[in-house]
Amino acid sequence: MSELVWAKLHGAVVHFPVALSLCSAALDAAGFLLAAQPVARELHRCGRFALLAGTLGSIGAVISGLLMTRGGWFGHGLLRWHHVFAWPAFGLLVGLSIWRVLAGVQPGRRALGCYLVCAWLAAGLVAATGYWGGELFLGS
Amino acid sequence: MKLSRDTGALGAAALAAAAALGGAAVFAGVLRAHAARTSHQRPSTEPWWACPSSPSPALVARGRTLFLNSCAHCHGIDALGDEGPDLHNLQVSDRYIARTITQGIKGEMPSFAKKHSAADISALIAYVRSLPPG
Repeated sequence: MSELVWAKLHGAVVHFPVALSLCSAALDAAGFLLAAQPVARELHRCGRFALLAGTLGSIGAVISGLLMTRGGWFGHGLLRWHHVFAWPAFGLLVGLSIWRVLAGVQPGRRALGCYLVCAWLAAGLVAATGYWGGELFLGS
Repeated sequence: MKLSRDTGALGAAALAAAAALGGAAVFAGVLRAHAARTSHQRPSTEPWWACPSSPSPALVARGRTLFLNSCAHCHGIDALGDEGPDLHNLQVSDRYIARTITQGIKGEMPSFAKKHSAADISALIAYVRSLPPG
């Protein structure tokens, strides 16, 4: 099997955590702001599913990335910058997903506020990871 | 009750995040060990935090900066080879090196034609030529 298959798979799956973590944070933020409306619960439900799907995508991205680089977990140059953001983003996404599963669809308002801060941080880290990944392959 | 559920969930989440990162690190270690056993190329032993070392002329220094940004993740930080081959003591022409950088090698190395100008490629060649023989 060609080693390029992991590079192609990595390129294919990385878009899921990028898009879904941002969507999830936006949906939960909307639910937080519209807490008094009936739609809030549905927004949080969608936000939770988006987060879980994004995290599944991030697991695929991590596995394909490690296979592509044959265990190179940090690297040098632009790859290093990619990983500086990738590892915290991955840990945060997994942690947030587990918390969302255990805490239910609509956690308490204070907990949700803290969660939103972490969710936006994760989304930012994932976006930065994607930016440096793009720089690696496309450059400027 | 609600608070204790959230606290318990937070603990489990932190454990899961740590387990995920630990699992990824172990997986990376296994893959890296496998790559080191099966590859004929010598992986770089220089730590990732190592700074550029000896002082050199401006073009070589610029070439090294470009090399670290674009090439080191495959050829190793010291160009001794990692995913890509060792670049010390290359027995090919400058023109061949430039062509390889701009056109790439199908299935092995991407093209850097859009990323690097002719001046960049000259600097990269100067840097590669400045490397001591293996």
